[in-house]
Amino acid sequence: MSLNYDDDMFVCRCEEVTVGEVRQAISDGAIDVVGVKRRTRAGMGLCQGRTCERLVQQILAQELGKSPAEVGSSSVRPPVRPITFGALAGGDF
Amino acid sequence: MKSYDVIVIGGGLQGSSCAYQLSKRGHKVAIIEQNDVASGTASHTDGYVGFSEKAPGIDALQGWHSVKLYHELQHELSYEIEFEPTGFMYVCETEREFAAASDYAKKIRDQGFDMTVIDPKEMCELEPNLAPDLVGGILNKSDGLANPYRVVFAFVNEAKRNGADVYTHTTVTDIKRNAKGEVEGVVTDRGDFLAPKVVNACGVWAPFIGKMVGLEIPIEPRKGMLLITEKAEPVTQSIEVLEFGYWLAKFFADFKRPVSELVEKHNVCLNIETTMSGNTVVGGCRLFKGYDIKSEYEIMQAIAERAIRFYPMLKDMHCIRSFGGVRPFCLDHLPIVSGVDEVPGFYIAAGHEGDGVALAPITGLLIAQIISGEETPFDASPLAWKRFEGVDLATLAEHP
Repeated sequence: MSLNYDDDMFVCRCEEVTVGEVRQAISDGAIDVVGVKRRTRAGMGLCQGRTCERLVQQILAQELGKSPAEVGSSSVRPPVRPITFGALAGGDF
Repeated sequence: MKSYDVIVIGGGLQGSSCAYQLSKRGHKVAIIEQNDVASGTASHTDGYVGFSEKAPGIDALQGWHSVKLYHELQHELSYEIEFEPTGFMYVCETEREFAAASDYAKKIRDQGFDMTVIDPKEMCELEPNLAPDLVGGILNKSDGLANPYRVVFAFVNEAKRNGADVYTHTTVTDIKRNAKGEVEGVVTDRGDFLAPKVVNACGVWAPFIGKMVGLEIPIEPRKGMLLITEKAEPVTQSIEVLEFGYWLAKFFADFKRPVSELVEKHNVCLNIETTMSGNTVVGGCRLFKGYDIKSEYEIMQAIAERAIRFYPMLKDMHCIRSFGGVRPFCLDHLPIVSGVDEVPGFYIAAGHEGDGVALAPITGLLIAQIISGEETPFDASPLAWKRFEGVDLATLAEHP
């Protein structure tokens, strides 16, 4: 797979992170999805990486010459979908 | 074989701060980190920066110095650390808490630091989203917030500019020592590195490195959990807010509040901050559960319940994420920041529990000054490893 994404293309729409910023994070030492997330906020928004994670994996895999599986994924943490604090406090989940 | 003046084990808040201060003084430094930098406690915590979670005395003193350093670092470091000196407020739910808080505020003031007692009216002016039925609070205006993992990245970047090398995903398996017991370097899964001085800045993992030189370091992992809201209007006005019960629960295991069974069971106390990103971070708890950092539903439920008690508007706001982390709890509540006489060349900078973000600047400075033979800004001997000399650690281990 060859990716020729422009640096100014958005990867993470929630946090407005571009391909260029992901590439910068990789050159700063990120070797996996979580490393990119901490350096760029890609995956920290409302959708929690459900939209951008695959793309971040692809960019990482290409830049580092690894397989998408090797670059990992974000830790799975509840809630699966946004839930109000009211529902959470009431044990309604 | 690579050779350095100082090897810092641990690429978290303390390690990166030590590396920055040492490299700034011209030492040839390497950071060796078993995972990524900022991957442990630094990225599983909130961003409170201040001295108000400390006990009066050396604890508050080092906190005060550290906050002062943050004011300088925000200009000195070329990487944005999202430091905001916006202040800090403890809120009290009961008269008993308010009395204890007022007493604490006086002790802090007697030490020459800022801490004012405020009434519910002043509280609600500063924090309009607070529940209106609280008894009172205490406030200081010098504390603030920073983004913990960005603080690490900033220190690491600056240390690299000063010539430091950073080895991530490299695990230290042993400490090399000569016949006299002096430190000579480290053994890792990626080869040996030489240095006459080694700093153990491994936080909750510091005891594992300690064992390599025969030290029993009295640090235990203490779990915290936090919830993250969606980006929305600020819940807090960029101020860090804690319930005073948090402080009381930190120092007095038998302290009881009028709370639900669930909140009581998981030792949940409110701490809350709206960060620069627009998300609000809501906690928290202090629990001994080994190295487990998984998100627990009951704790999430208890945190949400407790948070709504103080900030009713949260009821309709969304939680988008939860996370857990472990803080390095030192059995006598103080971090260890010093050399170790019995192992020449070995230094410890660990055990900051929930104050690692706040104290990282002063800890890095103290270690660099101790190693460089400079005078420290205050007598740091109460933080020294020596304090455990002749102490039966088992007697310190009295916690719930």
